[in-house]
Amino acid sequence: MLTVAVSGGKGGTGKSTVAVNLAVALALLKHEVVLADLDVEGCVDHLLLGARLNVVKPIKVSIPFINYGKCVACGACANVCDTGALISVGGGKPFLIPRLCSGCEACFHSCKFNAIRKGWRVIGEVSIGKVRLNNVALTLVSGRLREGEEHVAPAVIATREEAGRLARERKADFLIIDTAAGAGVAVSHALVNVDLILAVTEPTPLGAHDLDSILELARRLGVRVGVIINKWGLGPEDFVLNVVRRYGVPIVARVPYSDEVIESYVRGRPLVLSGGDGVGGELITLAKSITSLLR
Amino acid sequence: MLEVVVASGKGGVGKTLISAELTLRLKELGVSVVGVDADADAPNLHLVLGGAEWVVKREYREGRVARVDALKCVRCGACIDACRYKAIFIDSATGEYRVNELLCEGCATCSLICPVGAIARVEALSGKVRAGVTRVGNVRIAGAKLVPGRPNSGKLVTEVKSLAKELWGSEAEVFVIDAAAGIGCQVIASLAGASAAILVAEPTPASFEDLVRVHRVVKHFGLPAALILNKSGVGGGLEDRIVKYAKKENIDFIGEIPYDDSVPKALARLTPVTKAYPDSAASVAIQRVTKLIIEKVIKNWSSWYSEHVPRRPEPYVPEIILPK
Repeated sequence: MLTVAVSGGKGGTGKSTVAVNLAVALALLKHEVVLADLDVEGCVDHLLLGARLNVVKPIKVSIPFINYGKCVACGACANVCDTGALISVGGGKPFLIPRLCSGCEACFHSCKFNAIRKGWRVIGEVSIGKVRLNNVALTLVSGRLREGEEHVAPAVIATREEAGRLARERKADFLIIDTAAGAGVAVSHALVNVDLILAVTEPTPLGAHDLDSILELARRLGVRVGVIINKWGLGPEDFVLNVVRRYGVPIVARVPYSDEVIESYVRGRPLVLSGGDGVGGELITLAKSITSLLR
Repeated sequence: MLEVVVASGKGGVGKTLISAELTLRLKELGVSVVGVDADADAPNLHLVLGGAEWVVKREYREGRVARVDALKCVRCGACIDACRYKAIFIDSATGEYRVNELLCEGCATCSLICPVGAIARVEALSGKVRAGVTRVGNVRIAGAKLVPGRPNSGKLVTEVKSLAKELWGSEAEVFVIDAAAGIGCQVIASLAGASAAILVAEPTPASFEDLVRVHRVVKHFGLPAALILNKSGVGGGLEDRIVKYAKKENIDFIGEIPYDDSVPKALARLTPVTKAYPDSAASVAIQRVTKLIIEKVIKNWSSWYSEHVPRRPEPYVPEIILPK
């Protein structure tokens, strides 16, 4: 199985459009495909595919429950709590602010009096959608962080695990990962140990600036990258070319700017289904050559 | 002082454009304003304003990272099992246990569980915060830049807000805070302590979905909100539904900005679109909506606030599962 992640840094460059169309194109080419939407703060791949999602499991992080009968107010747990979720006021017994707890479990390991029990907080959900378009089928796994939760990494990790499990179970040929915008830890968890990163950018200084961060991240993760210039023709590509040259990575596709992109996703019908020369055609060509990018 | 946060959920809908233009317009009107770039992963506000001279630069080193001492490590696997972030791996070449710094949150778990005391937490550079003035418009700006892949972007946002307050808080009248995409720690850190949210959407299903999600977070903080519809007419056809949502939610709908290629063209010249192509349809609309924000929201704060603040507080209540 090959795992290909679609990322890019800046928001709105077309990560989801590329990920969804690539997944459908690979399915059209008779491959078994699992698409993982790891943009847990803004998961929209199901909208682009016109797919219904069914929640399969809650995403949980552990939280400590203090057994005040056993607690001796030693302060160890509050001391190791990095997020300030466990607080001990004036040397008293600690109390928890659940929202701040990241679920790192350091407090459990710090307590020498067996005074902390493990409970859970639900921070989001993993959903699965079976996508059937024309005569192609693929599986979508989508992670969603609840509004108000700020610990993104556990949600990305849980969704990726579920997608990986399903991909193995179905003997998938491809696991396609769609990531969030930015280049923070939520993106590193989506990009680590993949076979290829497709960095989608746009021909603007902003696109180039944020592409720089993703290419730096890819370099540090030791993962191969191909750059896709999306919305090609929107502006001069020099800014992007300068960054690409500096990292010595290949440009694997130039996808023309086109109004049909928005029309297609309002209808929930990926463009590769209609083929043609434009965006759909470019992405089918990319899908056909994807394995050669790894040689 | 007012802190207005420009947020959208979805990326690429025009947060930075609106933040830059609003900051410029306030400055032109003689209001003491600071632009705060609260997207530490992908900081772009200064670019839309022609770049910046950074006068103050500070490294942010509050972050930690675990380090395994290969001489003490007995390779028992306890740390690998305990790490919630899958940040510890076995080096395939040497068999040594190592920490992937791009995944490690710096919590104490592995160092506490290690039976031989082989893991220490060391200080790590998370990023930097910086402050200065923009080349176009000479506006004061503060921003943060995360080391790619590191956690702590939310803390960096809090840090850049503190830096702006330390430098200019005593006399600034308005902070325009350009939030990150999404609804996670950076957006929450941007909204904490803010006065109002200016939401930006484009008429597409993805943007609408994400607008509703970020607005839920805005309501958790009990903040009033205004809405700008960007790239209208681009083909999504959701304009009416988004405006209807705003009305139902008591979000003040300020106006629309039509899609227009003068925006990317101006960007390529690193010049705000209202300066590069002042007569373009987008520029005219941007002038109008930013002026409306200033007149309706900023200059008329107390009555606008009481009109648009959520009637009922809707604080976030986490779902807790008790220990068995």
